[in-house]
Amino acid sequence: MWKWIKKLASPVFFYNTINKLIPWFLWPFAGLTLLGLYWGLVIAPSDYQQGDSYRIIYIHVPSAWLSMLVYFFMALAGGIGLIWQIKMAQVVAKVSAPIGASFTLIALATGAIWGKPMWGTWWVWDARLTSELILLFLYLAYISLNNAFDNPKTAAKASSILAIVGLVNLPIIHYSVKWWNTLHQGAILDDISNPSVHPDMLWPLVVMVFAFQFMYGLLLLLKARDEVLVREQNSRWVRELIAGERS
Amino acid sequence: MTMIEVFSFLPYGKYAFYIWLAYGVTFFIIIDLFVRTSKNHKKVHFYLKNKYARRND
Repeated sequence: MWKWIKKLASPVFFYNTINKLIPWFLWPFAGLTLLGLYWGLVIAPSDYQQGDSYRIIYIHVPSAWLSMLVYFFMALAGGIGLIWQIKMAQVVAKVSAPIGASFTLIALATGAIWGKPMWGTWWVWDARLTSELILLFLYLAYISLNNAFDNPKTAAKASSILAIVGLVNLPIIHYSVKWWNTLHQGAILDDISNPSVHPDMLWPLVVMVFAFQFMYGLLLLLKARDEVLVREQNSRWVRELIAGERS
Repeated sequence: MTMIEVFSFLPYGKYAFYIWLAYGVTFFIIIDLFVRTSKNHKKVHFYLKNKYARRND
């Protein structure tokens, strides 16, 4: 395992691995998205209380889940880059930030749109909503800090420390519905063996969660591929790669 | 006439406005992510090609 990680830390190996992995994320993402959308929007039945408005969960829940997962990966990769000085881990952390910020924005926007017909308001300063908003600010702070330095090493160091400190927000988001009396409902998949959603509605949600995970993987690979080239622009292998494209 | 009434001809009736707005916003954000990534890919390759071409001159 350690040997493989060390190998992956090599920019050439990392770049070649990315190119090989892209189709493995692209097609499952496309297929699962189409399946999940059709299942969630057409086949799944209406809810007896919420009517059809509940169908927003098929994009809200996966994006909210990914907003936290991406942040965790970003902080983890940032920490690995910080401790072991692995440049490719710094690349993964850097390119994850705009993707995570977008998922957080989707979660907040779709939650607000669902909240209007269900709660009668677009926004409340509820613990879950507020902590998710803080997550968006953390992503934006990370991106700003990363862009504030010309030296990528210094940028990675400063932003990784911020990401690691911000990790404290993740359990707050997750447990906010338990720790405080919130308007936001509790987790629907807290107990996998006994979910609070009917299987007819649950399965399309599971499909969409996987679709969003593949989407994150795909975007991460596409962004990391370019970031490696920029960072390694003075290396011979990048020059040869670009020369090969020209001819 | 409210927005909800305007969009009620779409599937999901009185919730059509909210559902399609949510999916529209999501679609827009995701498409924006992919478009930015694609533009950056072209920009990086263009920059590197020019850089190496200048060095070879």
